[in-house]
Amino acid sequence: MTATVSLLKAVTGNRLADGEVVFWGEGGWRERFPDASLFADPADADAALDAAKADPTVIVDPYIIDVRLDGEFPVPTSFRERVRALGPTTHLDMGKQAEGGPILEAIAAASGAARSAGRSNLIKKR
Amino acid sequence: MYRYDAFDAEMLQDRTAEFTDQVRRRVAGDMTEDQFKPLRLMNGLYMQLHAYMLRVAIPYGTLSGAQLRRLGHVARTWDRGFGHFTTRTNIQLNWIKLKDAPAILESMAEVGLHAIQTSGNCIRNITADPYAGANAEEVDDPRVWVEAMRQWSTFHPEFSYLPRKFKIAIGAAPNDRTAARIYDIGMKMRRARDGKLGFEVMVGGGLGRTPYLGPTIREFLPAEHLLSYMTAIMRVYNRHGRRDNIHKARIKILVASLGAEEFARQVETEWEALDKAAIDVPEAEIARIRASFASPAFKTLPAINDAVEALKAASRPFAQFVKHNVLAHKVPGYVIVNVSLKAPGEVPGDCTSDQMDAIADLAERYGFDETRVHFDQNLILPHVALEDLPAVYEGLRAIGLATPNIGLTSDIIACPGLDYCALANARAIPVAQEIATRFADMEVAEDIGELRIKISGCINACGHHHVGHIGILGVDKKGEEFYQVSLGGSGLEDARLGDIIGPAIAGPKVTDAIEALINTYKKERTTGERFVDTYRRVGLAPFKAAVYAEAH
Repeated sequence: MTATVSLLKAVTGNRLADGEVVFWGEGGWRERFPDASLFADPADADAALDAAKADPTVIVDPYIIDVRLDGEFPVPTSFRERVRALGPTTHLDMGKQAEGGPILEAIAAASGAARSAGRSNLIKKR
Repeated sequence: MYRYDAFDAEMLQDRTAEFTDQVRRRVAGDMTEDQFKPLRLMNGLYMQLHAYMLRVAIPYGTLSGAQLRRLGHVARTWDRGFGHFTTRTNIQLNWIKLKDAPAILESMAEVGLHAIQTSGNCIRNITADPYAGANAEEVDDPRVWVEAMRQWSTFHPEFSYLPRKFKIAIGAAPNDRTAARIYDIGMKMRRARDGKLGFEVMVGGGLGRTPYLGPTIREFLPAEHLLSYMTAIMRVYNRHGRRDNIHKARIKILVASLGAEEFARQVETEWEALDKAAIDVPEAEIARIRASFASPAFKTLPAINDAVEALKAASRPFAQFVKHNVLAHKVPGYVIVNVSLKAPGEVPGDCTSDQMDAIADLAERYGFDETRVHFDQNLILPHVALEDLPAVYEGLRAIGLATPNIGLTSDIIACPGLDYCALANARAIPVAQEIATRFADMEVAEDIGELRIKISGCINACGHHHVGHIGILGVDKKGEEFYQVSLGGSGLEDARLGDIIGPAIAGPKVTDAIEALINTYKKERTTGERFVDTYRRVGLAPFKAAVYAEAH
């Protein structure tokens, strides 16, 4: 385990039509966390979130997540977001983890976390 | 088995058409998510971590072969080839796409399946004793009454926007198999001295962040007044239940704040004022419903089958299966077969499409076309001829579902937890898998005997942790998964809420803590005493000492 400082932000949500976990990335919503745009400046993340909210027929309840760097690899800070980025820990053949790759491996290896503030706010909103 | 009539079929078609249009309007942008969400929830569709989840209602936990096979088909066609049976005897599909939901509902409606009353602040799909019609000790067939309540409660305009969701269960025998005391309304069928049929009515049970066991508000309600009395309870709740605070909105909070006696008084007053005849089900209609639950055409068979006895002597696994999974039937020569969905290492309650097909085949061939769901997340073939038991056992073994562990340590209830659920704080399934694997050995498990471990991934308690002999609750401690352990609970006739043993335990140490608890039980027990009874006799101290000496 290397750095655990929360450095970056990303924007995520579930796609309306199929519920797929997606991340705001170059050219729009991307299914893979490695393709997520990472924002060092929170203001940029807020702007991306505003853009996401402007298209409610694509994404349900988008929110900002914290991302840290484990070595060179970006990893969602919260365990919940790591599970979303990978898939269920009980079915390694399901979800995004099936395709592998160094970033997903780094996420799978990560431990320790803070709760996802974005998700907590959503739950409170209910 | 009750068959939906033309009215029901039309209702399901209309519902599917309505939801199809709602999905179209949402996707087209004619409806916001805030507008759409309550509508999709009314059709059992939740947004979870990875996808939509569809919860399908299984009224009184009963499925025909055609229905079970259709669930397998739906899971195979529009999901990932498996489903998850829940503690409310429903089934959840974890990988649903919104755009497929109309086609799924249409497919299910063809066999009388639907997702109505599986979400929202309505009276939810009602649970019944899963051994209904098969068990000698049952007072009456609870499905008759649950079906009457299904017809009454479905789309009931007065009870579709309650302060909060509302769950009802009807047990049929002195031995509770529904966990009635943890329900908003739990009922137990009874007969008065004069032979009259009725219900003991318990109101205000529930788990979650404020757990209560429901107190009995009426010892005996004559059966014919079931619906008017339910109406009276619902009206008192609808009038006084709190709508200002979601955490205080369940009827348990109302009953606890008024006191059971005062709540009962208000219900009785309301009930007296009702036009009972206008609400209660006419005798003829009960008779019509009852006819559809008539016993299957059981044959006259010997109570002992020589081939079964011989196989028990020759095959240890078969003997273990008979000992733990097979129960006496009300008809000699028949048995109730419990199908464990808890093979150690597998996900509790999960069943693949192929397994559903195979169970449907077995039910059709050997079980009068019936399968039941137990709230322990297992399935049941309720009517199997003893002479067919070896074939049923072989059929189950072939699909990996002959684990002889009903009621043993590895027969664990676990909610989907943080592997799927948007509300969860911690995972439940991997904890169950690790414990079940550690105690998979039959000799070890039989030595421990009956032990009910129940695991929830958050305080909402879908995994019934408060009423586990050992309850395990996942909590988020600064982002790490920790688990709070409680002891001595039960949701059955010996109902009690468990006692928390101490500070939460780090995820990787939970199985060791469970082993320490079990070792303490082995040290303290008297002959034949169950884990939970030893705990209740000797108290917390030795268990607590063992866990915090060994696990920390």
